Order: sequence, then C-alpha cells, then structure tokens
Amino acid sequence: MPNQLIARGLKRCSTAQFALWVAPWFALLAYGVYAAGLCLVKGLNQTNMDNRFAFGLWIFLDLTIIALGAGAFFTGFLLYIMKMKELKGVIYSAVVIGLVCYSGAIAALMVDVGQPVRAWFTFWYPNVHSMLTEVTFCLTCYLTVLIIEYLPILLKNRKLRDVPSFLVFEFELHKLIYVLAGVGTFLSFFHQGSLGGLYGVLRGRPFAFREGLAIWPSTFFLFILSAVAVGPSFILVTTWIASKLTRKPLVKPEVLQLLGRISGVLLSVYVLAKTVDTLIWINHTSPNRGFAAWQYYSFEPFGTWILFLEIVGFGLIPALLLLSKRLRQRPAILVSAAALACCGIALNRFVQTVQTLALPTLRFDPFLSYWPSWQETGTFIGVIGYGVLVYSFSYRYLQLFPQERELAALPVVEEEQVLVER
Amino acid sequence: MFHTIFLSAFATVALVVAITVLFAVARSRRSLSAGRADAIRWHTDFEALPSRDRQCRHVLTGELASRECPHAFDCRECLTHPKLLARRRPVDQFEEEVFGMPYPSDRLYHRGHAWARPESDGTVTIGLDELGRRVLGPPDVTDLPPEGARLSVNGTAWRFQKRDAEVRVLSPVDGEVVAVGAPNDDWYLRVKPFQAEFDFRHLLMPCEIRPWVMREMERLQLALNGTLADGGTPMEDISAAYPKANWDEVCGQLFLQG
Amino acid sequence: MNRYAMSIDIDKCTGCGACMIACAVENNVPPLPQSNDRKGITWIRVFPVDNGEQGDTRQSAFLPMMCQQCDSTPCASVCPQQAVQLDVKTGIVGQMPERCLGCRYCMTACPYHARYFNWWDPKWPAGMEATLNPDVAPRMRGVVEKCNFCHGRWHAAKEQAASQGKREAADYTPACAESCPTGAIRFFDLLAGTPEAGSFRLLEKLGTETKIYYRSKRAWVKGLAEAPDGKEHHLA
Repeated sequence: MPNQLIARGLKRCSTAQFALWVAPWFALLAYGVYAAGLCLVKGLNQTNMDNRFAFGLWIFLDLTIIALGAGAFFTGFLLYIMKMKELKGVIYSAVVIGLVCYSGAIAALMVDVGQPVRAWFTFWYPNVHSMLTEVTFCLTCYLTVLIIEYLPILLKNRKLRDVPSFLVFEFELHKLIYVLAGVGTFLSFFHQGSLGGLYGVLRGRPFAFREGLAIWPSTFFLFILSAVAVGPSFILVTTWIASKLTRKPLVKPEVLQLLGRISGVLLSVYVLAKTVDTLIWINHTSPNRGFAAWQYYSFEPFGTWILFLEIVGFGLIPALLLLSKRLRQRPAILVSAAALACCGIALNRFVQTVQTLALPTLRFDPFLSYWPSWQETGTFIGVIGYGVLVYSFSYRYLQLFPQERELAALPVVEEEQVLVER
Repeated sequence: MFHTIFLSAFATVALVVAITVLFAVARSRRSLSAGRADAIRWHTDFEALPSRDRQCRHVLTGELASRECPHAFDCRECLTHPKLLARRRPVDQFEEEVFGMPYPSDRLYHRGHAWARPESDGTVTIGLDELGRRVLGPPDVTDLPPEGARLSVNGTAWRFQKRDAEVRVLSPVDGEVVAVGAPNDDWYLRVKPFQAEFDFRHLLMPCEIRPWVMREMERLQLALNGTLADGGTPMEDISAAYPKANWDEVCGQLFLQG
Repeated sequence: MNRYAMSIDIDKCTGCGACMIACAVENNVPPLPQSNDRKGITWIRVFPVDNGEQGDTRQSAFLPMMCQQCDSTPCASVCPQQAVQLDVKTGIVGQMPERCLGCRYCMTACPYHARYFNWWDPKWPAGMEATLNPDVAPRMRGVVEKCNFCHGRWHAAKEQAASQGKREAADYTPACAESCPTGAIRFFDLLAGTPEAGSFRLLEKLGTETKIYYRSKRAWVKGLAEAPDGKEHHLA
C-alpha cells in the first residue's frame, strides 16, 4: 500500500528503507545536541577557542554555510523577479537548502555566544555602527522570510492540500511570492555583505581590514559577489547529490547547466574584483597601516599558496570551466567545477576568520594555531545531520522537484504486457 | 540619524512581510467563503500536469498541431473554441462504439471520464464513462455526495477507493445534487444546474470521442508501461490484470488528479 | 576634569608580576586553576620579549600590556549591543558585563589582545571569598572583560570628592601602578601632565590613539611597537 503522504507519480523507497536512511543522521543530530548541550551547560571552555582565537570553527562554518545558502534568495530573485522560468525546477529545493543553512547557522551561533539568553539585547540596544548588529537584524528577518517561503512547499503535501484552507492559503501566498523574493533579495544583499563587513572594518587587524565605499569596506561587496556566485553552484551540487542518492533524474540537464553558467559568470567577476582588491590591499591598504603584506605569509602553514589556491585554484579555474558551454554539458566537469567553487568560498571564509586570528598583530605576539575540540566539531556534525534530515523529509513527502514527475514519466518499457484482448 | 535610517529600514521590511502574509490570509478567507476552493484545487492540479496531458481538445481532433489549454479545460471561457467549432463540418452519423467500448451519443463527455446527459426535466444525469469504468474496475468504496450538495465544474463530484487508489471524479456540471443513483444504476448522480440553460461547451462532443479515447489509451499505456496492440478492445477489468501496478498512479493520470 | 593615561618605563620593568597579582585581587578576577595560558584572565599581562637575536647579542625585556584605552577604539564600534562605551571625558573605555552577549567580536577587533573572555563560571575556593573587593562586581560566565583603569577606585574617588563638595574625582591610583616596586607604571592625568619625551605607543600607524605611553632607551624595544616583521620576538 503506497504511502498516501507521498505525492502521486513520484517513486519513493519504502518507509522501512527510509527509516534506515534517516537513522544515522538522527544519530549525528543527537551527537551534535549532546556536544552543544555540553557547551551550553558547562560553558565555552568545552571548546578549544581561547582569548587569541575568539572565533573558531563555528564562525568559519557559519559564514560558509550562509554563503552557500545564498542560492535560496538568488534563485528566487532570478526566477520571480528576473523571470528566468527554467529555474522553477530547483526553486523549492533551493528554499529548503536555504532554510537548512540559515537555521543551522543561527542554531550554531546561539551556542557560540557566551550568553544566548541575552540575544535580544541586540534588538533593544542596537549599535547601528556595528556590522554584527546589521547581521543580527538581517539574519532574523531573513530566516522569517525563509520559513514563510517554506510554508507553501509544506502545504503542497498531498495530505495537507486536501484541507481546503491550506490549499487556498498556499495558492494566495504563492501569488505574492515575488514580494517575499524581493524582500529576501534586499535582506540577503545586506547580510551577505555585512558578514564581509565584519572583517573589513577591523581597523586593528590589517590582514582583514579593507577600505571601500562610504561605510562599507570592499569585503562587503566581495562577500555579496562570492555568495551569489557560489549559491547556484551549491544548488547544482546538492541537486546532483540528491539525484545520485535517489537514483533518478530530478531536473532537466539544461537547468543545471544554466545554474553553472550563472555561477561561472559571477565567479569570473568575483575573481577579477578579488584580484584587484588583493593588489590594492598588498600595495596600499596594509602597508599604510604599518603592516607589510609579505609577513602575513611567513608563517607555516599559511604561505602564499593559500592566496593562490583561493583565487586561482578554487576561483579562476572553476570560473573558466563553468564559462565554457561545451564543458558545462559534461556532468562530471559541471559538478566538479561547482564543487571547486564551493571549496573556494569555504577557503575564503576560513582565511577571513581563522587566518586573521592566527596572525600576530604585535611584534612580540607568537603565531598561534588552533584545532577545534570534539564538542565544536560535534555541534557542527549535528547541524549537518539536521540539514540532511530536513532535506530528506522534505524530498520524500513534499514535491521538491516539479520536473521529477515529467522526467519519471518518460517511457521506459520494462514489461511486454498486453493491454487489450483480441 | 543613522539610528533612524537603520531601524526604519528594518521596521519597513518587517511590516512588508507581515502585510504580505496577512494579505494572503485575508484573500484565502475570502476565497474560501466564496466557495472557490474547488476551482483553486483544479487550477493547481491542472498546472501540475505535464504538458502533453494539457493539450487542447482541438489538438486531439487534429485541427491544431499543438496547443496547451490556457483555460484548464474550461472551454466556456475560450475565444478560440467557438471559432474552431464554426469551421467544423457538421456530422450526422455518430458512432456509438469506440474500440469496442460503448460511447452513446446521447451524452457529453468530460475529459476526466465523467459523462453528462441532459434530461427532459432540466436535470442532468452524470455517470462514469466506459474506459473509466474498465480501468477502475469494481470499486472497493463508492462515496457519493448527499442530496443538496453543490457541485462545481472540475470540482469533486464523487469519490472512489480501489486498492491503493483514491479517486475524485471531476464534475462536468455546476449544480445541486437532486438524486443519488442506486448501486445497480448505470448513473451516479442527478444534478439540477444552477443556470436554467445547461452550458456544456466545455464537454466533449460525440465527434471528438474517438481521437480522445485513443489518446487516453496511449496515456494509459504509458502509465502501465504496457504495449498497446492495435485494434483490440480493453478488458472488462484492467485493474485485475495488473495486481502489482501502482493503481493510485494509473487512476491519477486517467482521472486528471493532482 | 581628569583624562587618564598611563606611562610605562619598560627599562624599569623587572617582570616581577606584582602588577598582575594586584590587578587580579583588586578586580575580583577568578583564580581559574583549570585554565591554560591562552584562556586565563589577565587584565594586565607582562610579556617577556627579546630582540630576536640568538646567543650573545640576544637582549630581553618585559612589557606590561593592558587595555590601551584607545581614543579611536576598534572595539566600541563593533559591539552589537553597545556594551562597550568610550567615556569621552575620562578617556576610559568602559565594558558593561551585564549587557555583554559574549559574541567576542570586540576580542577579534582588538589588536592588543587586551580583552579576556570568561570561558568558565567564576569560582573562588572556600574561604577565598573573604578576599573579594566589595567595590568591584565580579563578572559572570560568557562575557568579556578587560582593564578599565580600576573603575572601582575611580568611583570611590568620585564619591570622596562629592562628599567634599568637589565635582572632579579626586586623584586615584590603579592597583598595578600602586603595586609596582620599581615605579615603572605611572598613572597620570593628560590634562595636567604629559608623557615623557621619547614615549611611543604601540601600533601607532593603526590610528587607534592609545593612551598607554611606553618608553625605553633601547632601540629594539621601540621597534616592538611596530607591526610584526616575520621574526620571533618573544621568550617562551
């Protein structure tokens, strides 16, 4: 008896098999909850962060997954405002990925701060000059928008849409989706930028400090650019993974190629902007503050290779690969290039967070290293478990891929059964 | 000053989001009380159908090469339909049998496989067509609406349950149920239309039946992954011949479910 | 009107650490025996430094570091909930532990590593509560703290002046300056005096406008006020 919760026309594995799939992710989530619980109950001494490494694994990964989750707002912007209709095939998946990335990041942030119960103080005593205030406001608003955008996906569930009020509400909300897409784009522009601004404004850390436009350092714009460049790539990679794990085509190949092309174009612009910015920083910004740029890279293992890897290896190379139409049509290259782009963003966030803190600022500072404790990695493993679970349940019970039905219905003649009698 | 700009920006954003949601809620309540839930359901189901299942009736007859119906099969609103009708040559003789299945010409057919027969007293009798009956097979449960229930075109007329399938038969008429068929009757409902003149422009005419049934059999074949032998008659109970097939999916496709 | 600053003679500092202990006692800093070097709280910390040479030419010194009380703070502007406030009159950068979220952004911003986080709940061994200073509130777990030029003593000085009908705070001395046996730390009022000739400030090119003035007759010590040069300059 097939599951009445699953949409018609979609093939899903049996409930028992699904239970087997989710069980290990639940275990990871439980492990994460335990690790996070230790940090909340016993204090942040459970981590390996210290007074020199005030930010660690969590902030690095938070910034990374927020950048990767940018695909949610950007796909929404391209579809509902720029009217790129082909992206209809991935928009729901993108929203779920966004929801998972942002809610996971905020959950990790709540464990990261020393007094999470005081989080509302930022809203009550906002320091409008601080980038972190801006991030707090934007992330909270945007998570709300994402939850509202998830509602129609949820309400499209086969059993839920039998309820007339849910069906009608979903229909009416969808008519106004472009408003939410616009608000989401506006908010995302600012919080992706402010996350970059977090580091660009650090006058005390010339490794991170950048000049820019008015109150916004160049990292504000670079972070936005890198986020919109990698967002489509991450959607591409996750869709491909979902497709491989479920062993069925979920979107038409042209959609993935379009995502790759968008990513390639934006990544190229980003690499150019980043190169210019880096040259200005090396030759002007940093030396003007008394910090010669070469000495940043005199500490092992953070040699200049890290700079080249970030801009060339994980930046220019995937950009060139994704720009080529011929290469985009080969799935192995398309997905690999997209994955490389995602690695590039992760490396960029790593450099901004961890390398900034590792480098000495005083002449008599040592160069220090940091390795996260198991509680820190455990918390993030829990976030990954949470993400996979939400996505798995959404994929199974909600129709995340509108093109799946069409692709599944393509004739596959398995049996030669005779339909008619003579 | 910065303070004011910052806080007003966020207040505006929060307001816009809240207003959007409230708007959606308000419109939903209006739609629900206006009884538009059925129409909305059909529209969303129709949009979810693949393109080849949304082809205009005039494509079936070969009058057009390809056209996706822009009115969710409600030809009453269509401007193209009367123009193409005017070009048709009138036909006197209608075949009563298609592929060995009886398709009487005294009734009009809905693309969801219900038929509607206007009676002399102004009511309309509704039943299930032959292909629908054979695909469904003997239903496990038949759930008919009570007398006085209101039906709308493309809304739910009545429901069947068969194996794992839950089928809502789409209504060919707008009206009020005045009589419910007995188990042995070949009809299911008798409906008094809301309007004095029963508008049946959206229903298929006898001359369109053959190409339509042929197309439906092709769709059935795709759903069953079976082979259609030319010229044969579909079996009495197709469901019995495919005990392992996903009957929910097969019926879903045939009866235009979402 | 008092505008406070400090002048530190590095050549006089013997590295005895009396200032560190006096500071901890005055400001109710918890003992934290379970901590390591990088997680402990030392509002003032004496850094052993050297000139980067090896063997015969190696020279060393001790550099007491505390919050540099910047006039152009990198930290106040980044706190999301205004828990850091620069008092423009006294020049003291104040920290409000009750408002602090513990996000540690200010710690990232400070180039002088002068800010410390409460990684643990503060606990004093049985009996040691008797040594706590009633004029200074202890902080809770999960908030940032730092040198505030012995704010408790400043408040006491203000109260004393008020009881005498004066509006300006009386002169006071922070615990570190008071305890230094060689007089290497001098606390003074910028509106009444000036730092010694030849004084330098750390990382001046950053434009933080610090109010801790260091001096030394040794050129390599002056060099320590500059940015890192790729060489190791610290002992241990």
